[in-house]
Amino acid sequence: MRVRTWTYLVGQSLQGIRRHLHMSLASVTTMAVSLFVLGVFVVASLNLSYVAEVIESQIEIRAYLYDDIPAQGILDLEVAISALEYVTDVEYVDKDTALSRLKEQLGPQADLLEAVEEMNPLRNSFVVKVEAPEFVGLVASQVEEFQGVAKVDHRQDLMSRLSAVIRAIRVSALFIILLLGVATILIISNTVRLAVLSRQREVYIMKLVGATDSFIRWPFFLEGMLLGLAGAAVASFVLDRAYDWFLANVYVMLPFVPVLAKQPMLQVVSLGLITLGTAIGALGSSIPLKRFLRV
Amino acid sequence: MSNKAIECQTRSNRLGVVPMILLENASKIYANKVLALDGASLYIDRSEFVFIVGPSGAGKSTLVRLIYREELPTSGRVVVFDKDLSKMRPREVPFFRRRIGVVFQDFKLLEDRTVFENVAFALRVTDSTRREIRRRVPAVLELVGLRDKQKSYPRQLSGGEQQRVSLARAIVNNPELVVADEPTGNLDPDTAWEIFQLLREINRRGTTVVVATHAREIVNRFGKRVIALKDGQVVRDEEKGVYSSEG
Repeated sequence: MRVRTWTYLVGQSLQGIRRHLHMSLASVTTMAVSLFVLGVFVVASLNLSYVAEVIESQIEIRAYLYDDIPAQGILDLEVAISALEYVTDVEYVDKDTALSRLKEQLGPQADLLEAVEEMNPLRNSFVVKVEAPEFVGLVASQVEEFQGVAKVDHRQDLMSRLSAVIRAIRVSALFIILLLGVATILIISNTVRLAVLSRQREVYIMKLVGATDSFIRWPFFLEGMLLGLAGAAVASFVLDRAYDWFLANVYVMLPFVPVLAKQPMLQVVSLGLITLGTAIGALGSSIPLKRFLRV
Repeated sequence: MSNKAIECQTRSNRLGVVPMILLENASKIYANKVLALDGASLYIDRSEFVFIVGPSGAGKSTLVRLIYREELPTSGRVVVFDKDLSKMRPREVPFFRRRIGVVFQDFKLLEDRTVFENVAFALRVTDSTRREIRRRVPAVLELVGLRDKQKSYPRQLSGGEQQRVSLARAIVNNPELVVADEPTGNLDPDTAWEIFQLLREINRRGTTVVVATHAREIVNRFGKRVIALKDGQVVRDEEKGVYSSEG
């Protein structure tokens, strides 16, 4: 096809949107709403994953030491613990540091500690981090065997239950997103199909005057693409605003819950929505045409 | 095959002329089992003006649809421009249709486009230049007497005017053949007469015209070839014929 024909076809797709403004608005709205819902779920599950990650990274084993170990013994212990399988990090916390950390945590109630400050009752300890929650029990029992270790503290039960819950949430979020994705595709392609159906007559006349199939299909393809793009753009914009609102209003009330920063997450999600919307719009409007082209 | 068809075919074979339209024993059974055309045979030469007449349900519309290949025959052959339509590949069909102008009873205009755009539509699909479009469209609108209505929309026009627009669209490509299915079915007799005058004018310029019609008066006054159908069969084929032999 020649350039002037292409110009005409692009013009036709724009005019098609204008001529069928009602249908076009309906399609864009449907796409915007369903893509927005999809986007909300994606963002929510990304955040859940992030929360899970943060919690998992905080899983630790605390090994308390006897007071009478010499400095060399502490160093040896640190090396020995680091050498264990699944251990990712070992930090030595002496009793003074432990006390000041405790003070910090207590904040205004720190004066409770004044009475014991003279004879710090806390012990020197190691904070041991492991690769995943399921290794906590194993590593803890190994650390317990070392000489100089008085007591090992870990919350294996809580941790493993928590990680099971997190895994379940992740899997179900993925499932819901898949389901929503399919629903979105169906809703959008159905809307676009209706728009195409309403123009059956136009297609018939085009066939009668000898239009080739591609000549007929291109404006519909471009039109669907533009409508999909518009719907996805609206969805992304609203999602962006909604996340701002969430950060400003909800996040401040839950300061201890880790939340993903807006960027680059929303950029990626928006890009995904726009790709999906454009693709469904374009295909959804040109595939159902096939039936009418058989004239 | 009717005598006329055989006669025409032998004549053209002798002269080596390519037939414009040739039906050989063509039958059409629709999906709902209706037998619309029952072994029809006919031959139409280049530059002829032919009326297809017959009662409702005689197969006139089906015959027209077979000619511009909206339908394919269930059996038998339909040959147009020396091409067997059943053997035509789908990708050839658009180019085949550009050589034919089609006119319907209900005009089939695009309501949301101006008269100019409706006519230009047939040129757009053929990769025509803007210059060609600006030259050709006003020229055919002039021919059908609608030069001053270019910017009107179909709903602003009378039925007769709308049919002229669709005629203009049918001929803007300079087709070799114009087929019309009841072009004046929705029009009053005076307006109908004007439309037929235009068809005759188009025929005078060398285009073959095939019209399926109920307009008895006009058929009788025109004195052109008449092919009569009944129950899907060709029952009469006369040079300078009338609408019905009984009346």
